[in-house]
Amino acid sequence: MKKKEFEEALSNGRDTFQSAESTILCSRRDILRGGIGLGIIASTGGLAMNLASPGTAEAGARKLPTKWDETYDVVVVGSGFAGLAAAAEAAKTGAKVLILEKMPVYGGNSIISSGSYAAWTDKYKLREKLNLGEDSPERHIEDMIKAGDYYGDPKLAEVVVRGAPDALNWMIDEGGLKIRQVLSGGGGQTAFRVHISENSLGEPFCEALKKIGEKYGTKMRLGTKVTWIWRAEQEGPVLGVEVEKGKKKQNIAVKKGLVIASGGFGRDIKMRQAYNPSVVPEYNSTNQPGATGEMIRYAQAIGADAIQLNFIQLYPFGEAETGLLDPYQAYATRIGFGPIYVNKLGKRYVSELERRDVCARAQIKMGLKPTYVIMNYKQMVKVGGEKDLESGVAKGRFIKGDTIEELGSKLNIPVPALVETVNNYNRNMKEGKDPEFNKKINKDMLPLDEGPFFALTAWPAVHFCCGGLRIDASAKVIDIWDKPIPRLFACGEVAGGVMGSNRLNGNAYPMCTVFGRIAGTSAAKEKA
Amino acid sequence: MISLFFLLVAEPCESRSPARSTKAQVPSCTRCHKDFVSVLPQKHPLVAGKDITACLSCHIPSSSTKAGPKPFSTTIHREHVKADVKVHCTACHTWSPGKSLGLPKQMVSFGKVSKDQMDLFRQIFSSWSGDRYLDALHANRNITCTGCHGNTLPDSGDTVENDRCLGCHGSVVDLVAKTTPKDHPARNPHKSHLGEIACAVCHHGHSVSQVYCLGCHTKFIMKIPGGEK
Repeated sequence: MKKKEFEEALSNGRDTFQSAESTILCSRRDILRGGIGLGIIASTGGLAMNLASPGTAEAGARKLPTKWDETYDVVVVGSGFAGLAAAAEAAKTGAKVLILEKMPVYGGNSIISSGSYAAWTDKYKLREKLNLGEDSPERHIEDMIKAGDYYGDPKLAEVVVRGAPDALNWMIDEGGLKIRQVLSGGGGQTAFRVHISENSLGEPFCEALKKIGEKYGTKMRLGTKVTWIWRAEQEGPVLGVEVEKGKKKQNIAVKKGLVIASGGFGRDIKMRQAYNPSVVPEYNSTNQPGATGEMIRYAQAIGADAIQLNFIQLYPFGEAETGLLDPYQAYATRIGFGPIYVNKLGKRYVSELERRDVCARAQIKMGLKPTYVIMNYKQMVKVGGEKDLESGVAKGRFIKGDTIEELGSKLNIPVPALVETVNNYNRNMKEGKDPEFNKKINKDMLPLDEGPFFALTAWPAVHFCCGGLRIDASAKVIDIWDKPIPRLFACGEVAGGVMGSNRLNGNAYPMCTVFGRIAGTSAAKEKA
Repeated sequence: MISLFFLLVAEPCESRSPARSTKAQVPSCTRCHKDFVSVLPQKHPLVAGKDITACLSCHIPSSSTKAGPKPFSTTIHREHVKADVKVHCTACHTWSPGKSLGLPKQMVSFGKVSKDQMDLFRQIFSSWSGDRYLDALHANRNITCTGCHGNTLPDSGDTVENDRCLGCHGSVVDLVAKTTPKDHPARNPHKSHLGEIACAVCHHGHSVSQVYCLGCHTKFIMKIPGGEK
């Protein structure tokens, strides 16, 4: 949006807002005017703009801090890819930047993720070098939008896709990130565009971003939780945040911008079910324990709009007890060579080629925890290495049986039922059919006809929150009156509307880094 | 800011009734100790008197953070703040809540100590003199508050920085080598997929230490000094 258009939009928004305000919000405005009339300056006292904060004495009328303990140009909430990228870009402009992270370690979900970054090109021209066919920004955008069932905002998707190669190169050049000289594709990514870190983990990406930020003087404070966002009035800017460290509360003033990069709410059972009743408490989560979504609520309390919160991505094959998703669990999704999913009764319960949400709902509907993924040696070496097999068995992650009978008894599954399931499956596969679940049998699939056999426990887990705070293409948070909230930005998983209803493998990384960079740059540009 | 060093250099006597001003009478130690001879080290010269002032004539408190020529042994604090020894700080110290913590008849103040802070001191000194947490394990090696915190009191939520731990415990590389599990070498808490993290994420001075890994990897078997018993 050009500056003039933007200003017009802003003033239009304001008109709308004022007409609404005159009927709805006059009492609060009166209170505010009264406060100012009495000589209280908004930034150093007076009433804060907020909804009722349950359980607080000042419900509905929290008082603004009378003094600020500290002042920063840009404060970033969260230290995953988005927060780190935002901080780095803001600090690069010379802004004084502080990252607040409530957990005792940095990195959020990013640092425990699997190191996959989708970009249609890169500085090495890997796709051309490896002769892996065609790709284009348009194709990546189309894949992203299609995967999200056309609920995603194409304008935001375009920002992610077009910024993806440059953000990747930036981490490589300035952050020292090393990626493998390979590309992967598949799933809904219709081209080879997924770049992978050397150790298949998110940590090298985090370290690269952290390094860039530190170079420009970014500071990070761990174990520090935001407990409120201060804003004085409906048209006014964000003023700062209230934070809690240990037993101590402090107020930090924000001169240019507050960037919310706090991730999703996959670990808040109540919140996720409130927005999507089908996501019952029985679901585990692959997320780190800090993914509890309170920043979304604080932003809503000062007028921010939040959208598409019902779109919660499910991962059906987390480790059954913990929800953990790691390289061993990833074997569950390598379905091309014909593994089967069975329940505790030894029966298949879904077509193994079904979408993840379908698999997850089938598991939950049965209510029989855990389920198992059954593979044999032939299938496993096609999709992984001997090394994984060995260590997986040693760690008890792959349960091994030389025969189906042995495997069944180790899993405590009724052996005759499991044998029958496997025999039926093998027979049907030969005939190229699956009368029970209509799975499309193809010639790559291998029968489960010789051992050793391996099983891995699986239970569905909440994986990614597609919805979140409503943003525009410059990462400004939009309020319920369709107007940007001055000095408030959001990026990463906490921002909604980018992915639509579903997210493809490899797309979260560019979404976080690209919008992180934009949020940081936009925040630093604001007038102090 | 209160100097931590001073919290450890006063020799206690006994009293259950807090004396909160330098003007108040100095509590006597004889309520618990028949005489000083029974509790003093063998080579200690004889001491005349029945309260802390007897000690302070030689063990002169200094207002710098450096130990004077004859500092008190930290074990004196340990013995008097154990959970089963219900001696209040004011058995030896003078204290006006929110104003000054000092020593009787000495022109020295260790800083302003509020009631909340005093409660916190008692709690932390008690755990330090116990046998449960990391602070007690350090106390066994004569490591006092300053060994980890330096000369100033930490704020609530502050943690001890890695360099200070590693100053005694060796480099991260050494730690990694020392703690590599034999059965699953990749499950090393000092070398994880979280990168280099703060020691204090797992190792807590005044509360139960907890292996952070176990928050997600609930099936790992890992032990930690000062952990859940």
